[in-house]
Amino acid sequence: MEAMTEPAKPEAPAVRRIGRAFAKQKWLYLMSVPFVVWLFVFHYVPVWGWTMAFQRYRPGRPFWEQEWVGFDHFVELFTDERFYLVLRNTLAMSVMGLVAGFTVPILFAVLLNELRLQWFKRTVQTISYLPHFVSWVVVAGLVSKMLSVDGIVNDVLRWIGVVDQPVQFMAKGEWFWWIVTASDVWKETGWNSIIYLAAMTGIDPELYEAARVDGAGRWRQIRHVTLPGIRTTVIVLMIMSIGHLTAIGFEKQFLLGNPLVVDYAEVVDLYALKYGIGMNRFSFGTAVGMFNSIVSILLLFVANGLFKRYTKESIM
Amino acid sequence: MKLDFKRSALLLLASVLALSAAACGKSGDDGKTTTDSGASSPSPSTGAQADNTPITFTFFSSDPSPNWNNMQDEVGKVITEKTGVTLKAEFSTGNEDKVALIAASGNYPDLISPKNGASLLVNAGALLDLTELIEKHAPNLKKVYGPYMKRLRWSNEDPSIYILPTYAGVNHTAFDEGGVFHLQHAVVKELGYPQIRTVKDFENAIRQYKEKHPTIDGQPTIGLSLIADNWRIMISVTNPAFFATGASDDGEYYIDPKTYEAKLHYRRPEEKEYFRWLNHLNAIGLLDPESFVQKEDQYKAKIASGRVLGLIDATWGFADAVNSLKAAGKFERTYGHYPVTLNESFKAANLQDTGFMAGWGVGITKSCKDPVRAIKFLDWLASEEGQILINWGIEGKHYKVENGKRVIPPDVLEKKTNDAANFARTTGIGLYNLLSAHYGDGVKDSTGNYFTTNFPEQIQAGYSPIEKEVLAAYGKTTWKDFFPPASEFPVKPWGAAWNIPVDSDSELNVLFKKTQEIVWKRIPQVILAKPEEFDKLWDEFMKDLIDAGVEKQEKLYTELVKARVKLWNE
Amino acid sequence: MRSASDRLFDACNVVLMTLVAIVTVYPFLNVLAISLNESLDTVRGGIYLWPRKFTLANYEAIFSFGGLLVGLRNSVLRTVIGAVLGVFSASMLAYALSRRDFSARRPISVFLALTMYFSGGLIPTYILMRDLGLLGTFWVYVLPGLVNAFNVFVVRSYIDGLPFALQEAAKMDGASDWTIYWRVVLPLSKPVLATIALFVAVGQWNSWFDTYLYNGSEEHLTTLQYELMKVLQSTMTGNEQSYRGRNMTEVMATVSPESVKMAITIVVTVPILFVYPFLQRYFVKGMTLGAVKS
Repeated sequence: MEAMTEPAKPEAPAVRRIGRAFAKQKWLYLMSVPFVVWLFVFHYVPVWGWTMAFQRYRPGRPFWEQEWVGFDHFVELFTDERFYLVLRNTLAMSVMGLVAGFTVPILFAVLLNELRLQWFKRTVQTISYLPHFVSWVVVAGLVSKMLSVDGIVNDVLRWIGVVDQPVQFMAKGEWFWWIVTASDVWKETGWNSIIYLAAMTGIDPELYEAARVDGAGRWRQIRHVTLPGIRTTVIVLMIMSIGHLTAIGFEKQFLLGNPLVVDYAEVVDLYALKYGIGMNRFSFGTAVGMFNSIVSILLLFVANGLFKRYTKESIM
Repeated sequence: MKLDFKRSALLLLASVLALSAAACGKSGDDGKTTTDSGASSPSPSTGAQADNTPITFTFFSSDPSPNWNNMQDEVGKVITEKTGVTLKAEFSTGNEDKVALIAASGNYPDLISPKNGASLLVNAGALLDLTELIEKHAPNLKKVYGPYMKRLRWSNEDPSIYILPTYAGVNHTAFDEGGVFHLQHAVVKELGYPQIRTVKDFENAIRQYKEKHPTIDGQPTIGLSLIADNWRIMISVTNPAFFATGASDDGEYYIDPKTYEAKLHYRRPEEKEYFRWLNHLNAIGLLDPESFVQKEDQYKAKIASGRVLGLIDATWGFADAVNSLKAAGKFERTYGHYPVTLNESFKAANLQDTGFMAGWGVGITKSCKDPVRAIKFLDWLASEEGQILINWGIEGKHYKVENGKRVIPPDVLEKKTNDAANFARTTGIGLYNLLSAHYGDGVKDSTGNYFTTNFPEQIQAGYSPIEKEVLAAYGKTTWKDFFPPASEFPVKPWGAAWNIPVDSDSELNVLFKKTQEIVWKRIPQVILAKPEEFDKLWDEFMKDLIDAGVEKQEKLYTELVKARVKLWNE
Repeated sequence: MRSASDRLFDACNVVLMTLVAIVTVYPFLNVLAISLNESLDTVRGGIYLWPRKFTLANYEAIFSFGGLLVGLRNSVLRTVIGAVLGVFSASMLAYALSRRDFSARRPISVFLALTMYFSGGLIPTYILMRDLGLLGTFWVYVLPGLVNAFNVFVVRSYIDGLPFALQEAAKMDGASDWTIYWRVVLPLSKPVLATIALFVAVGQWNSWFDTYLYNGSEEHLTTLQYELMKVLQSTMTGNEQSYRGRNMTEVMATVSPESVKMAITIVVTVPILFVYPFLQRYFVKGMTLGAVKS
């Protein structure tokens, strides 16, 4: 995309440059600056709360009456063995979730896009996102039942003769990560594919025509028209998701977990809840949150930089 | 097409603006959530006559009250009539706690029921000391609390009264006891009503019955099923360990009755033997292998199918499964409750007396412009007239007095049991119980009637025929009869340890969480292990606890217990 | 002129999609079945696709609750207002950021992107709302979340995929940036706008936590989900009171929390099912691009 520039001008002092830039692109500024102010107010202003991480915060006491403890909470955090275990679990599940959460919805969107019967396509799409609306409480219960000793999975396995005794899937810690990832795929694929479907409708149909004229079959059309057409969207989403690697929430792990797999199931956000807000230890909770945020931002910049370098697409 | 889109976009914008204008009109309030509207009385009345000028108090409770009807219910209207007070109340949804936000923002309601968040408010200086107010304006509160007034004090260092205990009923007697060990009626009946006194008896009964009936209604019989879904592990797996070894409920600790020293109860050698017994049950195939994996609904489904012979749980933990069995007519598959202990040397201490438990309740905040009116309002609710109104309702409408006895007419009772939510919403009965001090079950008022609507006679009337049959065979009239009565045990001077508040700043909280995590991980592990490995794993478990700082935790807790004993008894 | 391999592809695709549909519709049908089944019977387990003992009691429990109508009105209002505001704010900002020649592009992008990864915390946010006078108002539902970084980036990536030639052509015709946005880019972006509208709408429709935090005591500002939470509570406390050792014989609840939870899921999801097909027509391939090109 070419920039809409004028022939080069000699360098002017900064203020005038800004002023001139504003005048030249006043609409663009008007369309963006108010929202920047908005963001500042609602997102950046509350960050003063991060000071709580360095205090022994007691609600109700004014700011200057709070006790300062420096990095104590962070020391506590980094010397806790459990924290590292929890971090490991979080990273494992989020990386697995990342891989599954991209490949499957994209594949699904591609195949859905190829369906010819419009009513069938629409029906399947509508049905596919239904699990998104069923709460994790319900889904966890369903998964638990299906994997129980008299559940359907064991029935099928015994019927085809793979095992003769029922397997307690939910009791094995090593399998927990797979169960969580698979459950998430089941629940969220349909919903996650909506963005890709929308992006696909933006692809110029002439490109498909051109490919067909060149003799490309369905698969090649997909590889050379569809996938490149959603490339930007995929990359943008991927960068954003990488930033979220450590902050994946805890609801599904909590609901699917049980005492036997607890060493694989606990994640950072649950740890923060248990030892932070859940105990009214706001300072510690804030410290963990801060850690999460800083890691996320680092990951964001790294991902952004890498993608910008190798694919020329980025968000910043 | 372009025009089309533009027009529809403009239409959209226009409708948004219109809707916004409409929405604007609806939010009439200014930004504050707590405003004390309404006229307060010109001067606090010191005379005996109640001041009835209308006044509104704001109230926040950490517990939900979904049937709250803004005091538009029948009882609520009478309360307003008699005291002039209207409550503008806000309730928690049950999950998140807004108390921290309230404490941090300084937006206090006039009255507040913060449950565990009380210490946050005290630390923020938000609550008023009620000692003087009670002394001067609250004769009923004094009467109800009686000799337990000492228990209202906050701590030895700060003997102010911040919270009026309203959750616990004074002089409450439980009319029945559910215990923790349950056996199907069908089992005891077929075996000729053997004595179920020790864990061995429990085990033998299950084993013998299971051998004779490997399936029930076409599905495999399960000897014993436990539930460990999140905190349920405490009710079904860990608490029974102390019940079975002669201790009563003190939360996760065992308190030595002479020295008041606290110990994490798993560290008692007796309890090791209890868990060894569970391990043994697993080894011989009597324990449901899914006990530590299953979710609540799977657990209840098994029970409701009638094939689980024994349970270790609180009765409320599987009550809807029992209801389901009853609805299906399978009464013999419902359960009896037995005072099982490890061996004859231990007595089941489920009924040990704790005295009045104080604990959670209501406080008045600094934001309250008329605390005298507020305390008088709470005082009226604690009066005899007030308590009867809250529990029974309005005479003539919700109950009748026949021969001096209060009786609930059958049509009212029918609505109460079968349409509970609507009943609460329209009548208001049951909505105001946690607002002020009150007597518990079994206490009679000046007319010789019970304050509450639960009486001992109801218990037996509620037993199913087979329950009565089983009880009769054992020579008892209620399940409570199985258990050694409270008189056989000393009253615990510290009340119950689980009730002792821990300051949010204390290191105790973190230590406790860490040891809890170890417990929740290790206990299922030792139970499911091979019997030869039990001792080794148990020793590792004990070592883990020590490494996590359990000795320090116990020391800190002992101090709390001792402080409590001093506060409540001296 | 579909080749044989094409036809095979299509056939396999249909089979696969059918399987996917079956697997994903199952949880929903299961919820529906349980919601129409008697609570006491549901406890026994074994309900899969259809109810065993049909009843409407679970739904009655919901609809006999008074506050629902007000909650519904407010939920609809915030969903519509929130969606419209969200679409316009996201698209405006996305357009500005899509212009590579926009001098403030990089700093604003960074500023915006970071907001996805940090938060000041519950307490400072609450205090902010109080200080802005948003507590106890309707606007606390739609204003704070007005600018959503995720949505902006999604829209922007879509705009990036549009042929820039169209914008250039309009510029040469003398159109201002605003006109280009309004008349060229927006109409072409219907698919992504529909997507964002859907996301925002669903988010608004499902939220209750902000009601609880900021408007807990304002009855006229309650939302549907919050009311439904209360309905759920009323079945739970009904059960608890009867079980808490006091009087097991008293209340035999005819409606259990689990069954009501299922009914609530259905009640909340069905309106979305009706709205979605309305948005779905924006996902039709290529219709927008071809027409505007001329």
